Amino acid sequence: MSVHDLIIAPFGYEFMRRGLLSSVLLGTSGGLVGCVLVLRRMALMGDALSHSLLPGVAAAWFFFGTSTTALFFGGLAAGLLTALGSALLSRLTRVKEDAAFGSLFIVFFGAGVALVSKLPTRINLSDFLFGNVLGVSSGELRLAGAVCAVTVAVFVVFYRSVLLETFDPVFHRAAGGRGGLVHMGFLALTVLNLVAAMQTMGVVLALGLFLLPAVSAYLWCDRFLAMLLLSAALAVADSALGMLVSFHAGIASGASIVLCLGGVFIFSALFSPRHGALAALRQGALRRPST
Amino acid sequence: MSPEQNIISFDGVTVRYGRLTALEGISLEIPCGSSTAILGGNGAGKSTLLRAVMGWQRLSAGEIRIGDAHPQHARPRLAYVPQRHSVDWDFPITVRGVVEQGRYPSLGLLRGLGPADHARVDAAMEELGISGLAGRQIRMLSGGQQQRVFLARAVAQGGDIFLLDEPFAGLDLFGCEELTHILRGWADQGRTVLAAVHDLAIARSCFARGVLLDTRLVAAGLVGDVLTERNIDRAYRGGRCVHTGRAGHSVEGAPQ
Repeated sequence: MSVHDLIIAPFGYEFMRRGLLSSVLLGTSGGLVGCVLVLRRMALMGDALSHSLLPGVAAAWFFFGTSTTALFFGGLAAGLLTALGSALLSRLTRVKEDAAFGSLFIVFFGAGVALVSKLPTRINLSDFLFGNVLGVSSGELRLAGAVCAVTVAVFVVFYRSVLLETFDPVFHRAAGGRGGLVHMGFLALTVLNLVAAMQTMGVVLALGLFLLPAVSAYLWCDRFLAMLLLSAALAVADSALGMLVSFHAGIASGASIVLCLGGVFIFSALFSPRHGALAALRQGALRRPST
Repeated sequence: MSPEQNIISFDGVTVRYGRLTALEGISLEIPCGSSTAILGGNGAGKSTLLRAVMGWQRLSAGEIRIGDAHPQHARPRLAYVPQRHSVDWDFPITVRGVVEQGRYPSLGLLRGLGPADHARVDAAMEELGISGLAGRQIRMLSGGQQQRVFLARAVAQGGDIFLLDEPFAGLDLFGCEELTHILRGWADQGRTVLAAVHDLAIARSCFARGVLLDTRLVAAGLVGDVLTERNIDRAYRGGRCVHTGRAGHSVEGAPQ
């Protein structure tokens, strides 16, 4: 098989081009958002958020059918309610933010499952969970483009606020920063990206597209900007690679993308020269230096 | 700077969190240009006092003024150094990256660091003796060096009042001596240092003045006058934890 057959020919198909473009767009913005999720130890909150979108999607489906716009705004509303609700709960009560997220998302997910079971036409739950990269419509593509543009713009304009709030929220506040606002804004941005990725990747795999490149980049980079750029680059490159693997091997494309990202992550975790497991073992340091 | 601009004054400052009183009726004046240790046991209100000076703490009563300004209007004069354990040392950032953050508050949204900002960052790193570590990731430093990185960030901000929350916590003996040397130097240069400290020996050796708290003000003034046995006894109540019952009397742990 020639290089052309291997790499170029598959993208001669319209559905492959669309799938690639959509995952490149979402990979770019997801790779950025993922870095902040990883550094702020909110990786599992992203998981909780992703499940909480279900009732919004189901309700949108119930009232408006399969319209991209309706599903988008339904998911967005449910996700924002969970995110802002948990953030408020944790500030107003003694419940910590992780517990607030954990509790609210499962209530939302339960409501979603209940709604789905009452729907006259059966909503395809596996599309919600795993998406369908090869069935990307032009509306979904435009949506992915818009969300990617917004996310990149936010990171460019508010780069220093994002860095300060992620690294040292107390200093950010001392310097006159609006920490609460940045935090809420970031949660909203996460929901926006999850909802945009939901229809192509599905919520579970979308989270992989956010977290895996970020955590891989974290294992290589000692500068925040470098981590952001490497994370986005890994997400884009593995999206393309994953699409090709899925084409040739005939496996689900979302899963194939996540598995490629997973390969990079495991490689990084083992072999990163400064922060990998083998480097740590070579230095005889199974325990981390304590501070 | 005129004399009245050079005083941090507290007038009847009271802070309550719900039913818990963190500070009650604090009235005192802290002169700028010297080093002051904020002393007291756990829950005596040391951190709350610092937060109040930063202007973050809603006061239940009273007023704080820095010179003739409300704390929130004195922000360019203030630099805050966080506790060591609140820093994520694995964060992908270099020494220079942290010190540059000191310039962020004075930059607009889109303007990057200019030549003047870089000069200030260089000067701050030079002053704290960390220029040679500029490219290091912050975990790859000793405890004393890590502390100096955050001091350099505060210097780069360009303020004259430095608020440090437990700067000596978690430092080894060498780190403590290093920090003592730096803070003494700052006071000699006329900088104002306000630090929450729980080690009385360090307070005696490193700070000119002291403020001893036990929710209320126990004593304030020159550190030697503040740290008398009687005052320490009053502030720490014989070194035992005391809870005040509903009726206002001590219910446990009072000296036998």
